[in-house]
Amino acid sequence: MSERWFPDEMPVPAVNAETNGWWEAAAHHRLVVQRCTACGATRHPPGPVCPTCRSTASEWSELPGTGSVFTYTVVRQAFIPSLADRIPYVVIAVELDGAEGARMVSNLIDIDPSDVAIGMRVDVVWEDMGPHLALPRFRPAADAKESER
Amino acid sequence: MSQNGRRAVIVGVATSDYPKLPEMSEHAVHGQAADRALADAGLTMAGVDGFASTGFFPMYATGVAEYLGLHPTYYDETNAGGASFEVLAEHAAYAIEAGAAEVVLITYGSIQLSQMGRRLGTGGGGGSGFAPGPAIYDALWGNTLVGSYALAARRHMDQFGTTAEQLASVAVTMRAHAAGNPQAQERDPITVEDVVSSRLVADPLHKLDCCVISDGGGACVMTTAERAADLETTPIYVLGAAHATTHHMNISSMPDLTVSPAAQCGPLAFARAGIGPAEIDVAQLYDSFTITVVLTVEDLGFCAKGEGGAFVENGGLGLGGRLPTNTDGGGLSACHPGMRGMFLIVEAVRQLRGQGGATQVPDARIAVAHGTGGMLSTGATLILGKEAP
Repeated sequence: MSERWFPDEMPVPAVNAETNGWWEAAAHHRLVVQRCTACGATRHPPGPVCPTCRSTASEWSELPGTGSVFTYTVVRQAFIPSLADRIPYVVIAVELDGAEGARMVSNLIDIDPSDVAIGMRVDVVWEDMGPHLALPRFRPAADAKESER
Repeated sequence: MSQNGRRAVIVGVATSDYPKLPEMSEHAVHGQAADRALADAGLTMAGVDGFASTGFFPMYATGVAEYLGLHPTYYDETNAGGASFEVLAEHAAYAIEAGAAEVVLITYGSIQLSQMGRRLGTGGGGGSGFAPGPAIYDALWGNTLVGSYALAARRHMDQFGTTAEQLASVAVTMRAHAAGNPQAQERDPITVEDVVSSRLVADPLHKLDCCVISDGGGACVMTTAERAADLETTPIYVLGAAHATTHHMNISSMPDLTVSPAAQCGPLAFARAGIGPAEIDVAQLYDSFTITVVLTVEDLGFCAKGEGGAFVENGGLGLGGRLPTNTDGGGLSACHPGMRGMFLIVEAVRQLRGQGGATQVPDARIAVAHGTGGMLSTGATLILGKEAP
């Protein structure tokens, strides 16, 4: 099991045939995005039809796992009791490299909430939440830390 | 708007008791508001052939209609979250003008506060368990409803330099208006300093940047201008209306977090009304959070994109300000039972009738009511006037 940041009591996804590929890849610590094989557009969350060209053909395209913070918030009120000792935590909308136009909501961990900034470069890190459920979260990019020195 | 010489007007409006109704069922709130709105119009349930309402389960409107003893031949329960009641009123106007209905009653009722206690709307996926549908892609990472609006607010601040103090000024003005509303949930004056020093719920949104959680409801009655001529009430004309949506419940699917659906439906509604934002005397703008109002004044065209912060500060939304807004105290201070779009319509009509009480805007002739629902997902604009176009 990976390092843990969030409690076991977090909600779990109801997965279906359209979304299973994304969760299956995540369970193996592979960050993918759904890419339309007709026009090349990427989309997230996963869905049955390309919103750009209406094609139903798609593939799970592996991403480098890097990106940048599009926007962020610091959640300071626990919405389930077991989050009470985990607040505050940082929620980000991240723009993923290699997946233009497809943002995802995730977390930025291993950072003081007052140091978060829009545009910050981030790297994926995985948290195993259960036997077959892993979630991508992000930490400040190693190279960003280097360049700050 | 008109068809076949028929022109839709609002002839009755009412709010139920609010903000705390521990003794009432949800249906009773609808019923109280319905009876009051019909009395306001000088009509009875017997004349109602159309009904609209919406809530959080399927066939909601038919359930309320049964409770009210109605067998309507026109009904509608379009759910656009907080924008629902502007959409329902727009649809009712079309139905009336097409001759599909003569008298449409629209009701809203909620006992959210008494039913759920003070959860303060921070629920993500409703706690542990399977996250339903689109909530998967937020709740698993601990994002909340307030968090989603906070993501938009942070983006606006970063992109345009909007400040926490500018956002706070929205809450300060709404509270000042609430002081003139004896029913308002919160009436004690607050300052910008009070807002920015209140507890952060999800940065940059403080507790006082968030709406109150209430019980309450409202109703309106619509018919034709011809029918209204026989009534005592002053009819209020639907001059133009439009609605739009850009995404469902994932804030990360919003195309641009600083541009709400109001940017689509606002200009459409103004074009249909044949007027521009400069002709608006009073505004009722959905204020789930302070950022909601800043985005809305920009997207409806009251100022340029990015200038909303400067527009709302220093009493810009107050009586005598650039755009007197939410004269009842809004969702931030008066009442927010979950989908408060009906309150926007009621207060707009009262202002145009000159029944605004302590917060009456002098000689208000044209009003806008704009609802926002979901995670900035839906928008619906109604432009109302006291004179026939």
